[in-house]
Amino acid sequence: MILGAWVAAGLTLFIYSFLYKDNPLFKLGEHLYVGISVGYSVVLAWHTVFLRLLWEPLKKDITENPAVFSSYVLLIPAVLGLLMWARFVPKIAWLSRLAFAFVVGFGSGVAIPRTVSSYILKQIEDTVNPLVTRGADGLSMGFNLASPQSGVNTIVLVIGVVSVLFYFFFSVEHTGPGKVTARTGIYFLMIAFGAAFGYTVMSRMSLLIGRFSDLIKFSGAEYGYASLVLLALTVLALAAWEMASRGRREV
Amino acid sequence: MIGIDRRIIFLLIAAAVLLPLLRPFGLPIKVSPEVRGVYEYIEALPERSVFLLSFDFDPSSKPELEPQAVALLRHAFRKNLRVIGMTHWLTGTGLADDVFSRVAAETGKERGKDYVFLGWSPGAGSLIIAMGQDLYKAFPSDYTKTPTQGMPVLEGVRSLRDVNYMVSLAAGSSGIEMWYVFGKDKYRFEMAGGSTGVIAPGLYPFLRSGQINGLIGGLQGAAEYETLIKRKGTATAGMDAQSATHFVIIILVLLCNMFYFVLRGEKGKAR
Amino acid sequence: MIFLKRQLPLAITFVMGVTFAFQYYIPHPVSEEAITNVSKWMQIISGFALALGLASIFHVHAVKIKRQVPGWGYSIVLYAAMLATIVVGFKSGGETKVDGAQTAFGWLYDYSMVPLQGTMFSILAFFIASAAYRAFRARSPEASVLLVSAVLVMMGRVPLGQFLLPWTWDVTQWLLNVVNSAVRRAILIGVSMGQVALSMKIILGIERAYLGGGKDQ
Repeated sequence: MILGAWVAAGLTLFIYSFLYKDNPLFKLGEHLYVGISVGYSVVLAWHTVFLRLLWEPLKKDITENPAVFSSYVLLIPAVLGLLMWARFVPKIAWLSRLAFAFVVGFGSGVAIPRTVSSYILKQIEDTVNPLVTRGADGLSMGFNLASPQSGVNTIVLVIGVVSVLFYFFFSVEHTGPGKVTARTGIYFLMIAFGAAFGYTVMSRMSLLIGRFSDLIKFSGAEYGYASLVLLALTVLALAAWEMASRGRREV
Repeated sequence: MIGIDRRIIFLLIAAAVLLPLLRPFGLPIKVSPEVRGVYEYIEALPERSVFLLSFDFDPSSKPELEPQAVALLRHAFRKNLRVIGMTHWLTGTGLADDVFSRVAAETGKERGKDYVFLGWSPGAGSLIIAMGQDLYKAFPSDYTKTPTQGMPVLEGVRSLRDVNYMVSLAAGSSGIEMWYVFGKDKYRFEMAGGSTGVIAPGLYPFLRSGQINGLIGGLQGAAEYETLIKRKGTATAGMDAQSATHFVIIILVLLCNMFYFVLRGEKGKAR
Repeated sequence: MIFLKRQLPLAITFVMGVTFAFQYYIPHPVSEEAITNVSKWMQIISGFALALGLASIFHVHAVKIKRQVPGWGYSIVLYAAMLATIVVGFKSGGETKVDGAQTAFGWLYDYSMVPLQGTMFSILAFFIASAAYRAFRARSPEASVLLVSAVLVMMGRVPLGQFLLPWTWDVTQWLLNVVNSAVRRAILIGVSMGQVALSMKIILGIERAYLGGGKDQ
């Protein structure tokens, strides 16, 4: 665990060294990251896809019921998967089209009804909420801004959806009333982008807080002051590299 | 001042993160209706209800989504729910299993009996459809290679139709929206989302329309959930640093605009 | 041959697309059995497809090493790290924990991959601050609206902002639940219509980019 702390802190500081300038420590960390990620993906893909999803169920079905056609049905996706790999051999690369056609056709087919139902119909349904409700005292409209479903917020929502949809409709020139609608849409968009920026800042800072929390943890005595020692070594290494680079430039 | 070396700004940000972590000031955390929605639904679930938690993130979003996962699992285990875990993100698999093991150990829950971590499987939308049709065909074994057929925790669970509540902790497109489109739309389980701050604003239309019944957004959302379950964790500990960094950014933006308007005024006078 | 290379793939796409678009509306057991099996097949085929992406990384760095372009030493580091992870991973049986004890593969994941991936993305926090200082100016009415909205949300979503100016919380909630929802909804509807149109073009064979190019497309 102590070795792990030193490795984790060291790699973290290598990546953060980019904040000074692009340097060999950062490049080392970056290439280690890609290499380890690819290696991890290969191992997990092998064990999950080839062993767990394909080999073990196929072996079990064929062993238990060798005369039944359905025991061999998993060979179909295996063959289609291998056809995809035909892409690597230029002479038979065209075979991969059959596999891609199968996958893309299925993906496009299942997406259509589900997209229409979830993203279009459901969203339009919520946009056209009633403005007034019938209660014991007759018809009433909610003016409570704090309640997202109130009448006044529904009006704002409808104006927002329509004006933004209109803004992105470039087949019609944005003149006259169209210009007013499009400008309204732009202001709605700016508010949403501002909110998105605020949330993005929150998100990125959270990631930084997480890494710093780990560095603080690894700076303790139980981890041999890993973060502090490695920070000092990283700074020295960067200083040495900077001096060497300047020396090379002067020559 | 406007052309200040950006490394000075980097140092300011580093200080804004480091100082509150070393010396927290501990402000109260206000709970939003969208987070409360998730909490109240889980709170109302009967014991041994089936709760599916999908870890749709990888280590790059760990600081935001791991605290959400820990808080949700603590709540679910306290309510004695049967928890099924899985992930759509290959590189997040080890992380998800680690969270399960840790929280299960602290709450005395047993793998196979109280929870199961199915692991990762490729397919995205196809995987959700496969789970919706037949869970055991989609995942013949769990992450530890134990066959899923016959597991006590999965008793009576044939497919996603038998799931009582589902939360997707998502860092990108393979997450909440995908679960709704390929999952809830046809298989009719109730669901909510936990997301990073980057994608949270884009999920509000689904929250409004009732397609998800709650949304835990970013580290702030995780801190709100920790407040609700009355168990402070890493999210609450990070909120002071969050506050400090936001204020540094606000001050930087205001300063930038102040210099901009002053310079613009001087240029105007010079003409 | 042209039939096998061009017409057959398009025919397969058409048949698969139409079948599984209509399957959604047909609750018959045969239809349900079809989608159960084919969705399982897609899981397996997606695993094979993963190899295509990985192969391109192998190829890019192999070329760098072969041509000895500047920085090719780092490509060797990449290959070494990849091979080491694969060897360790296979020796650990692809598991990060066995009976509660961390394996070497698990150690590599927890102390190398997690910190590297986490730090790579957290570095953006510094750049977002620097960019905000340099470029976030109220140059126009629209930019001013964006700026005010961003500042309100940044204040309203943290405890310090809620403590100093409690009204920012309520304003942020309204901005997110009403204005932001409206905009995102409009974008979602527009993008989804585009996605449906693209899916239909693919099924009907009008859009053929997925076939991978070549003169016989």
